[in-house]
Amino acid sequence: MSPRPGVVLEVDRSTPPTLFWYGEGFRLEKLPVGSRVIYPPEPVAALADPEGAIRHALENPLGDSAPLSSLLTPGMKLTIAFDDVSLPLPPMRAPDIRQRVIEAVLEMAAQKGVDDVELVAALALHRRMTDEELRHALGERVFNAFAPYGLLRQHDAEDPSNLVHLGLTEEGEDVELNKRAAESDLLVYVNINLVAMDGGHKSVATGLSSYKSLRHHHNVRTMQHSRSFMDMHRSELHSSNWRMGKVIAEAGVKVFQIETTLNTDTFPQQFRFLQRREWEWNLADRSAFLASSKALEKTPPEIARKIFHSIRAPHALASVQAGEVGPVHVRTLEHVHRQQLVTVEGQTDILTMGLPFISPYNVNSIMNPILVACLGLGYFFNLYRGRPLVREGGVVIMSHPTPWAFNPVHHPSYIDFFEQVLADTTDLFEIESKYEHAFATDPWYIHLYRTGNAYHGVHPFYMWYWCAHALNHLSRVIVVGGDRAAVRRLGFSPASTLSDALEMAEDVVGRDPSITHIHTPPLLLADVQ
Amino acid sequence: MKALVFERQLARFAASRLAADLAGSGHGVGVGPLELLEVEPPALPGEDWVRLEPRLAGICGSDLATLDGRSSRYFEHIVSFPFVPGHEVVADVKGGLREGERVVVEPVLSCAARGFDPPCDPCGRGERGRCERIAFGALSAGLQIGYCADTGGGWSAGLVAHESQLLTVSGEMSDEAAVMIEPAACAIHAALVSERAPSAKVLVLGAGTLGLLTIAALRAHVSPAVLVVVAKYPEQRRWADRLGADYVVGPGETLRAARRLTSSLALPADGREIARVTGGVDVVFDCVGSADSLESSLSVVRPGGEIVLVGMPGPVKIDLAPLWQREVVLRGAYAYGTEQTPAGPRRTFELAAELVASRDLGELVSAAYPLERYEEAIAHAAAAGRRGAVKVVFDLRRRAGRQLGGKKENR
Amino acid sequence: MTRKPASELVSFLLRAPTRPTGAEAPRLKQRTGVEYPTDWARRYPVRLARAMVLDDLTLPFVRAAARPRFHGRDALERLEGPVIVAANHASHLDTAILLAALPPKRRHRTVVAAAADYFFDRHWKAALSAFGLGAIPMERSKVNRRSADAAAELIDDGWSLVIFPEGGRSPHGWGEEFKGGAAYLAKRCQVPVAPVHLRGTRAILPKTQSPARSRFRPGETVVRFGELLYPRPEEDARRFAARIEAAVAMLADEAESDWWAARLRAGQGETPSLRGPDVSPWRRAWDLPASADPSRQVAGQPDGSAATDWDD
Repeated sequence: MSPRPGVVLEVDRSTPPTLFWYGEGFRLEKLPVGSRVIYPPEPVAALADPEGAIRHALENPLGDSAPLSSLLTPGMKLTIAFDDVSLPLPPMRAPDIRQRVIEAVLEMAAQKGVDDVELVAALALHRRMTDEELRHALGERVFNAFAPYGLLRQHDAEDPSNLVHLGLTEEGEDVELNKRAAESDLLVYVNINLVAMDGGHKSVATGLSSYKSLRHHHNVRTMQHSRSFMDMHRSELHSSNWRMGKVIAEAGVKVFQIETTLNTDTFPQQFRFLQRREWEWNLADRSAFLASSKALEKTPPEIARKIFHSIRAPHALASVQAGEVGPVHVRTLEHVHRQQLVTVEGQTDILTMGLPFISPYNVNSIMNPILVACLGLGYFFNLYRGRPLVREGGVVIMSHPTPWAFNPVHHPSYIDFFEQVLADTTDLFEIESKYEHAFATDPWYIHLYRTGNAYHGVHPFYMWYWCAHALNHLSRVIVVGGDRAAVRRLGFSPASTLSDALEMAEDVVGRDPSITHIHTPPLLLADVQ
Repeated sequence: MKALVFERQLARFAASRLAADLAGSGHGVGVGPLELLEVEPPALPGEDWVRLEPRLAGICGSDLATLDGRSSRYFEHIVSFPFVPGHEVVADVKGGLREGERVVVEPVLSCAARGFDPPCDPCGRGERGRCERIAFGALSAGLQIGYCADTGGGWSAGLVAHESQLLTVSGEMSDEAAVMIEPAACAIHAALVSERAPSAKVLVLGAGTLGLLTIAALRAHVSPAVLVVVAKYPEQRRWADRLGADYVVGPGETLRAARRLTSSLALPADGREIARVTGGVDVVFDCVGSADSLESSLSVVRPGGEIVLVGMPGPVKIDLAPLWQREVVLRGAYAYGTEQTPAGPRRTFELAAELVASRDLGELVSAAYPLERYEEAIAHAAAAGRRGAVKVVFDLRRRAGRQLGGKKENR
Repeated sequence: MTRKPASELVSFLLRAPTRPTGAEAPRLKQRTGVEYPTDWARRYPVRLARAMVLDDLTLPFVRAAARPRFHGRDALERLEGPVIVAANHASHLDTAILLAALPPKRRHRTVVAAAADYFFDRHWKAALSAFGLGAIPMERSKVNRRSADAAAELIDDGWSLVIFPEGGRSPHGWGEEFKGGAAYLAKRCQVPVAPVHLRGTRAILPKTQSPARSRFRPGETVVRFGELLYPRPEEDARRFAARIEAAVAMLADEAESDWWAARLRAGQGETPSLRGPDVSPWRRAWDLPASADPSRQVAGQPDGSAATDWDD
């Protein structure tokens, strides 16, 4: 049976209540008759022989690139960069796809006798991964062969001796890159393209660069002109990265891009109901829902967090392509669209969304209020192509407990951003001009980023900028069931129930509004006509 | 004449201490040594003394500490019993040449009031707060009116004061504003006592009356580069913001704010990621005076920085290793006298009157009670922050409408 | 004489006198490392206790967790008198597995050369090693006169010796050069050396940076004994050591392929070195045989056949 495409359901009187994610939990909500619910397509079929497919992709590259094995020579300097812990979500069951790809690359390198090989986690300004996370992403064999000899590194965007400035783009943007990567004879980048934003020139130009480079596209102006950043043709974020990609290529950095797409098989058996359509829930699904939601009510948040963060997604490899960045990414997008695209007719007044326990930046961590905002207004709001799902001046309603809680190891600068910056103002440009520089250059954040497992000081700003397009576009954001003080600090409105939230939204958008619910995860990309 | 009298009764001290410990500050009054009595008005101790009839008398943090039985035994020989508390007083003069004048009292009982001529060295320089003879001379021991058996105090229908202690209140100023002059003078003195504060990074710890007034005083006279205020309650946060704080943070946010604003590094301890900052602010004004606040001050002040104790401390147990290793200056700031200003020496009280008038600080008076409801009044003052109040006063005006001219309902 | 109160007398008794600064200080006796005396551990009652602990506790555990299969022990069984057992070394399990491989009679008259700086650096560790394994302290890298004399005396006395000529566990899975200690003792005492190859112990319990990080995964091991090697008169200790290493290397080759293929390669002088290929660290790690690579061992899925020729 081939997987069914996504569907836009119109709620009628026979429609069972709709599942809303609510952080480390979920609720069933009755949406008004006439509301629309967008369901993602079912997971596409997995590749039957992933190892074979990977080898085939490496030896039959796209675009202007020779087969990988012919690019490998004994005396060369080879660097393999890979996506960090922010992908995929939730983390996938072992073996991780990065492990499979990198083992295949290394097998070739070993056969060709390449001695000088280094692995780099392309962190950009994300937190360093723990050994445990690296072991999971790369597999123990790769980890044991590289980590003990210092050949498995994590990109350090604050180590001037390990960065090199490659020049300016035609728009005057600095291109600063990881020195080892830039000076290698070949840079192999291993991607997991979970959403349409990932990959392309963004992999190297962002993942291996520094604040000096990033500030050119991670800023309010760019993000307001990325509509959406899931659609590279209308995304200023991507235009800037592509310009940088050009500079990188002109500087003689040879990139062999490997992109992989996964199917949206997101939840293990016991949570399978989370990716089924409610009217198709069987007895097992209904009992799993009942059991887990009742159990979660009684579970302290820290324990619930542990349980959810131990979920390993059954994600399977759906496609792998390698070679020249541009053509590879075109093929990748086709695969992402095949898996995620849902056609939606027209915009809506009110967009509702249930926010899950995880975002790219809180793997094995707490989803703090800033990340709640970013997941809702940065990611889910932008899961569109064409026009935004919600009309200009519309309202977004999201459900999440939004606790006033932070992981001080992973998100130290977030705490200060929340306590000091958002307490002062939520205005994008004011925040950018008044505070960004101080946070980006703060020695303490830099210390924690370099030596601990902390996101860079400037990272919470990027989370806020990620919301820029939505903040400009919407007239109100309502959080159902959130900590009131935290929600207000974000500049949003708290509501206790969905019906209260809908009432509040009507004050803004008028009586009898159109309502659309985006039923994700699993991920989807709305093609709004 | 009605007066709230504080007797020396050890059993009651202990009882109030216990009650305060168990039920919280301000709850030891019922069992404590304070009683509302009918007493004789105090006699005039000498020629230069006048009788005063209080209009408003404030309840101060040091009063609360005394009532809770928490104050230091240090004060044992510089107060005399029984006394009538109340040193923040706006009053009418009764009798004598100044009959009918509305005045505020500068309560320190220094050489002038005690009949020493020549005065001690500090008094000679106008530094009355540092008077060396507060336990001697023509009066019983007592550092201020409100702690002396001979003068009476503000929490009564009448007291006496030396002429040198009076400052006439101008006609436009409300009683509420006038009663804030004494605490404002404390705050100005504290703000000016530190030589490091001008153009420095300054943190004010605590946003009760003294904290808020210190913010206003710093803004008016010192102009620090950055002024961070630690405030616990929403009302305090609003006031701190209004009076000129650059950043207002909660108590749990102090270390992080101090660290970030000084771009400092930090050290962890006891499972906290940041237990103390390695750099820190130049000056801390500790307007609380507890062991916790002192410890907090020491953890955010930079090496070579200064901590000014504005709030009255009691006996505290604290680790002084950081003070030693970081060469921190710890200094007190008590009362007032004469301040050196760019325009020459000025009496602190005059500066305070100007500050109160210009910043409309009378609005800080949030509740007024008649003497008879003193237990309620003191409980309110003790929980002022939590209950959204700043300054609680006794209202002794004859026809006192219990409302304060339209100021309460809009907050 | 005045009478002192009792408390002063007590404190006089309890407090040692202070030494005048001018008085000569006695030399501190170092009783750990190579100086640690182990004779007590070879007294009869202690041997009996060790035999009980070994036979009833240590070895049953090792047999269950490492499931060793033994090959080529017949030469050893026929031999009378002491022998030096020389093996490659990658895991703490190795000693116990070798002891398990020895016939009980020999086992209880065997001492184990253990690194003086690791097993004998603290008093309690030294005592535990001496008691539990019958360990004697040995310098890792050089032949120390004192420890060599002690070991030689024991061999002359009829004790067999288990020794790891590499001088320590391999950190990366490949072998290190065989040092001369075993060869020197064999020559000096004129006893044979039994070369042994241990396969699979690293996958069960590899060396880690700190004991806290060690991970234990039960698996299978193969212990292969080679022909006894006798020192040749014309051969010095270094050469003999090289011959021992070559013998172990051939056993290793045999473990990864088969006896005949290994023999053929040995004949051609093409036995792969124990020390692995001379390439960059990552490639050496990548080339490790799966049996020495913990990351390629799936717990509960041993690769080997069901052969169990371990006995006693």
